[in-house]
Amino acid sequence: MATPVSVLRLPRGPDPNSRGFDPKSPRFIALCRTSIPTSAEAEADPEQLQKEQHARSMLRETFLRCLLSMANRKVQFNMYEKVKVEATFGASDIDVLNFQVSDLHTPIGVQKEALIRSQDVISFTYDV
Amino acid sequence: MNTCDWPLLGPLQWTSYVNKQVRVKAGKDEEHRGWLLTVDPVSASLVLVDFGLPGKASVQVVMGHAVEEVQVLQEADQETTERLQTSFLPPTPRRLDPEVLTTTRVRVRSWLEKNRIPVEEEGAELRVAGVLTITAPYGPDDCCSSNQIILDRIQRLIQNQPDALETEPEPTGSPKD
Repeated sequence: MATPVSVLRLPRGPDPNSRGFDPKSPRFIALCRTSIPTSAEAEADPEQLQKEQHARSMLRETFLRCLLSMANRKVQFNMYEKVKVEATFGASDIDVLNFQVSDLHTPIGVQKEALIRSQDVISFTYDV
Repeated sequence: MNTCDWPLLGPLQWTSYVNKQVRVKAGKDEEHRGWLLTVDPVSASLVLVDFGLPGKASVQVVMGHAVEEVQVLQEADQETTERLQTSFLPPTPRRLDPEVLTTTRVRVRSWLEKNRIPVEEEGAELRVAGVLTITAPYGPDDCCSSNQIILDRIQRLIQNQPDALETEPEPTGSPKD
């Protein structure tokens, strides 16, 4: 495996928070809806709401178990502009907006630790 | 199913796609096929499973924001549904002898008490400081609480519990009387 590249420090680089990670940035507000709200029908009818909430929690629980099963596994990310990178999955944040990965193989070398924006990812795959 | 529609369908409609084989078009030219395991209600991401050799599977997660089209190909038969359901669930708890459970409960309770943690028995459960519940078989994964910090502490404590009953170890970090 290639030696990890050292972290590049550019002189007076851009503020790291303004790259779409900062919750107050216009990019974040436009693209990163943190959750999908209750449907209009459910808001009107309490029984419907309960059904929807139950469905929501079942779906979310299965999804969280999938994320758990991904921890420390090799995952391949398919991103926009035909970028495909492989990394070891670490964790996701609660809104599934950022993924923490280790040993990210990029064309310029292996990044020891990295955060990947989910907005840049189309899909990712791994083997169980 | 147009570009933007998928994230707007909602949990009830997403559930209707679960356990079906679907074809998903994503990004500009990606196409994925597989059994839909679940849809994340927060990001509308689809989790597709493809079974290869027995015991092996490949999982593809397609981000909700990138979904262009979702098409149902077929329903899962009984066998595939079962395989899907059990692939990610936690292992089923072993049925333990009630006597063994009682002994374990008493042991865990006295370990907590040695560490100056207030604990009470409530039927078959242990109630810690009124905010955390431990159910059988009283392991770190059987702790349940809405307080993250207490949960973490108690889990670690139970994890570090010495196995031997006979020796009376010093509780961690307690002052000498």
